[in-house]
Amino acid sequence: MIFSGWLFLIMSWLMIIFIMIFCIARVLGDKENNK
Amino acid sequence: MSGKKRQQWGSKLGIILAVAGSAIGLGNFLRFPVQAAQNGGGAFMIPYFVSFLLLGIPLMWIEWTLGRLGGGFGHGTGPGIFHTMWQKNRFIKYFGVIGIFGPIAIFIYYTYVESWLLGYTFFAMTGKYAAATTQGAMQDFLSGYQGIKTNDYFSGIGSAYIFFVITFAMNIAVVYYGIKGGIEKLCNWAMPVLLICGILIAVRVLTLGTPDIARPDWNLKNGLGFLWNPDFKALKNAKVWMAAAGQIFFTLSVGIGVILTYASYLKKNDDVVLSGLTAASTNEFAEVILGGSIVIPAAYVFFGPQQITSIANSGSFNLGFVTMPLIFEKIPLGAFFATLWFLLLFLAGITSSVSLAQPAVAFLEDEFDLSRKESVSIFSVVCFVLCQPAIFFLANGVVDELDFWGGTFCLVLFGTIEAILFSWVFGIDKAWSEMHTGADINIPKFYKFIIKYITPLFLIAILGSWFVQQGIPVISMRNVPPENAKFVILTRIMLLGMFLLLAILVRIIWSRKKQEENV
Repeated sequence: MIFSGWLFLIMSWLMIIFIMIFCIARVLGDKENNK
Repeated sequence: MSGKKRQQWGSKLGIILAVAGSAIGLGNFLRFPVQAAQNGGGAFMIPYFVSFLLLGIPLMWIEWTLGRLGGGFGHGTGPGIFHTMWQKNRFIKYFGVIGIFGPIAIFIYYTYVESWLLGYTFFAMTGKYAAATTQGAMQDFLSGYQGIKTNDYFSGIGSAYIFFVITFAMNIAVVYYGIKGGIEKLCNWAMPVLLICGILIAVRVLTLGTPDIARPDWNLKNGLGFLWNPDFKALKNAKVWMAAAGQIFFTLSVGIGVILTYASYLKKNDDVVLSGLTAASTNEFAEVILGGSIVIPAAYVFFGPQQITSIANSGSFNLGFVTMPLIFEKIPLGAFFATLWFLLLFLAGITSSVSLAQPAVAFLEDEFDLSRKESVSIFSVVCFVLCQPAIFFLANGVVDELDFWGGTFCLVLFGTIEAILFSWVFGIDKAWSEMHTGADINIPKFYKFIIKYITPLFLIAILGSWFVQQGIPVISMRNVPPENAKFVILTRIMLLGMFLLLAILVRIIWSRKKQEENV
């Protein structure tokens, strides 16, 4: 079997990691709400 | 509404981790990879992400908003929240009962399955199943543990029952200590530990390479290929799109009623938009990145292309409790990784089960003005009794029946009602403004159209297609063996009784409220 699904794997991973980091950074950065 | 002050979350991160903990469950690690492999591989991610954007995220925001709104009026569960939104309709509160009934129906079998994970964590540490080296032997070990058969490993259901009692007591203790002191505290440490365990196991699997040189094809690259290679023809099949929508729906814990209850403990101006998105993306990390990197690639590497299809089709329990322990027996430090695996699943389980307990407890506290101690005591006694059929009649289809009604039917129905109520009864303009109260990020405007039209239509389509494909055969008991029929019918009677009792309680409390208003 040849692994031809790289594009889907990498795109899915990147998209999720990007959204997750963006959200967590915003949540952690909001000190007032995080008391 | 009572004058009693409702509980509150200690921090924004606390509720995000609690909602993510509720969403991340066994399905992330065992159901998702099988669904993807069977429905187009990499191409499955197209309908999966489309469903995430059009169905998952909007429903997540709807539930967070409805919950926070209801909490402001002293209601943390479906009946009170639905009644607040549509006061003119005297029947809507009874539809809200689904948001308490569904979580209880899931809780009474989920805690038992969760207790197996605690048991297996212990067995992995002590090497109890080390003698089982084939699929058949490991299956025997599981059946012996469940008390389905007596064998060399177990002489009865005793061990399983002890682990169940411990697990049940842990759940009750967490709920007893409340939102901030119990659930938030648990999720604050359990979620990071869960993610670390998942990352460690995923890294171990992704560095397996080709463990057996005599079988060069049994390698990691081919394992990833089995899961991720795209089959674009699958996209023409409506079933694949429904499978993706169903997976998104079940993985995010929307439509159960637990997010409504969790969000009801927010303050009026707390953000729901960013928090909902953060919880959903954390769940996706656990599902796609961790879940997609563990079970299927590892099974391919150790069982090869001939067996992988039958393994993938063998069901979630088989993958988790039979295939994975065998895989860990074949790798260095296997006992350590097996312990991490079961601990990971146990933490995923307990952070979900405590969320399932909370709606019923909140209902008793909010509507009957009972103390937390009284509410948790009533809940624990009733649920302990209701759990017994799932434990002793596991082999007779009781768990499947509970899962169908509580874990599938109620979810889709409740989600559809919520979406329609939110956009069409409450009104999309009012809903949009409520959603943005205190929001840390703005939702793109086109989501107004999606929430009003696309999400409800998508849900109605899922409800219809699911009803035809799975609902009719299950309701008509087409695939139930004759010897199990009476158990299935008794389970249905038990569930019907539960629903009617909850509906009667709602009627009593609202009659009482009406009388108080008239005095």
